[in-house]
Amino acid sequence: MRRSLKERNNLIKTAVLIAAPMVFFIGSICIGRYGVAPDKVIFSFVQAITGKDMGVADMDLSVVLNVRFPRTIQAVLVGASLAVSGACFQSLFRNPLVSSGMLGVSSGAGFGAALSIIIFNNMFMTGIFSFFFGVLAVVLAYLVGRVSGGSPTITLVLGGTIIQSIFSALLSLLKYIADPYSQLPAITFWLMGSLGSSTIRELVMASVPMLAGIVGMLLMRWRLNVLSMGDREAKTLGLNVGLNKAAVIAFATMATAGAVCVSGIIGWVGLVVPHMCRMLIGSDNKWLVPASISIGACFMIFVDTLCRTVTGAEIPLGIVTAIVGGPFFIYLLKKTKGSSW
Amino acid sequence: MDLIKVKDAGFTYDGRRMIFEDMNFSVQDGEILCIVGPNGCGKSTLIDCMLGLKKLKKGSISVSGKGLDNLKPREFAEHIAYVPQGHKTTFGYRVLDVVTMGRTYAARTFSSPGEEEKEIARQALKQVGLEGFEDREYTKLSGGELQLVIIARAVAQQSRVMIMDEPTAHLDFTHELTVLEVIARLVKESGRSIVMATHFLNQAYYLENWGVPTRVALFNGKNFTHIGKPSEVLTEKNLEETFNIVTEIVGDGSGERKYILPLYNKK
Repeated sequence: MRRSLKERNNLIKTAVLIAAPMVFFIGSICIGRYGVAPDKVIFSFVQAITGKDMGVADMDLSVVLNVRFPRTIQAVLVGASLAVSGACFQSLFRNPLVSSGMLGVSSGAGFGAALSIIIFNNMFMTGIFSFFFGVLAVVLAYLVGRVSGGSPTITLVLGGTIIQSIFSALLSLLKYIADPYSQLPAITFWLMGSLGSSTIRELVMASVPMLAGIVGMLLMRWRLNVLSMGDREAKTLGLNVGLNKAAVIAFATMATAGAVCVSGIIGWVGLVVPHMCRMLIGSDNKWLVPASISIGACFMIFVDTLCRTVTGAEIPLGIVTAIVGGPFFIYLLKKTKGSSW
Repeated sequence: MDLIKVKDAGFTYDGRRMIFEDMNFSVQDGEILCIVGPNGCGKSTLIDCMLGLKKLKKGSISVSGKGLDNLKPREFAEHIAYVPQGHKTTFGYRVLDVVTMGRTYAARTFSSPGEEEKEIARQALKQVGLEGFEDREYTKLSGGELQLVIIARAVAQQSRVMIMDEPTAHLDFTHELTVLEVIARLVKESGRSIVMATHFLNQAYYLENWGVPTRVALFNGKNFTHIGKPSEVLTEKNLEETFNIVTEIVGDGSGERKYILPLYNKK
């Protein structure tokens, strides 16, 4: 009796986690300067997939499929990637204060983007460079962390901190030498993050590492619980700690670097969304990982919708994530009294 | 057969000062081996070596006839379970989930443990007397309850040997006794072997008094100075040599139950 109740609860949780991003997705596509009714949005998709004429106006069809759909899909992928990487790093480092940028992926990516803006002034190369340098930063942090043999958590964190500060210093250097009228603003805006600036081709390319990372972390989710017991215990419980740790770092880095290279640096999501999920669903990674994917996607869709609708000009995403996320986090903290820590 | 056999073992951190050397002992089926000795004598280092967390500089350790270095983490967990000295909690997992982690080695690569593994975990909780704790958050338990959860996790591993590092450190009187009762039961009823480092010498007598096959290894200097039954090893003379204290071994008159009464430090 009790068990069947639990099973039913799990079914409801799963259904909500799957349905919520869909509702946000369709809702966001409806909203904007040019409003589209929800049924028209759905018909547009049906028409695009089946090729059957559903009687949707050409204008609606174009707004839904060409303008808002790619952007909203990007919000889903970026939000999910950042949030789930943050959740995984928190478990891996046994520290609720770390986020997806812990091992320097964001600083590396920021440096790469600035470098490419100065050298090429080409959005496509900026994406490639930021991805490459994001991954490079993590690899360096990992190697620094291995100095003492093995990869104990504390030296990894230390390695991440060192690499982060090196790359942010290099970024400052690039800003200093950049042309203040064209390149510097481009760097600054890139760093603030936006979902509006990438093309479909870039999005498709970036979605490969993001999806691969997300799926990888989903598969690792139960092992994350064991890893969060600490190196000694995880090993005596029968895990190959070094290998599993490296795998989690690799998946999280792929997802984060993929997200950063199309959207710039978006802080806060990788720290706060996992905590929202902890408060709502608990710390068990079996649920926390899928919940972070789902809530991360919802949060990012919501914030991006605000960015593009509140004022005539677009507000950079990174600003809104903190302004919206902060108060909501405080609300949750008050409501749940910080249980689950 | 020896469950664990330590042969000519030696270890050093800096390559000069040996923590221990030429150490030889074995752990038999269905016995408790208590490792006692002064602070800093190397008990924890020895335990880390037996767990494969640190590598011996000399000699070898074999588990059920296989060399420790050749065991994969999975195989190791199947043979030996570990109860750390004071587990640090970070995230509020449910008690049942924590205990189920004992089944890690049995789970297939990317899947979570199923109902069968959870049932083993429930049985383990029952064995340590924590029925009804399944759904509690393990961060909100008392120190004694937490230690029992960690012991239950080791029980759920169903391995023949359990290695415990000061399992009763920081526990109150009640929980110390509970842990000892659990340990005694595990050895007497399910025939497991336990290696435990402890600072509470009377625990060895406690276990012997209750008829559990117990041996004590007195660790001092770079090796065990004595190893054998508590009443043979924990004598007034040996305690004076090892801990520099004057004690009296007292009994309850029947000649069966014994314990150590500490008197004073030798000047």
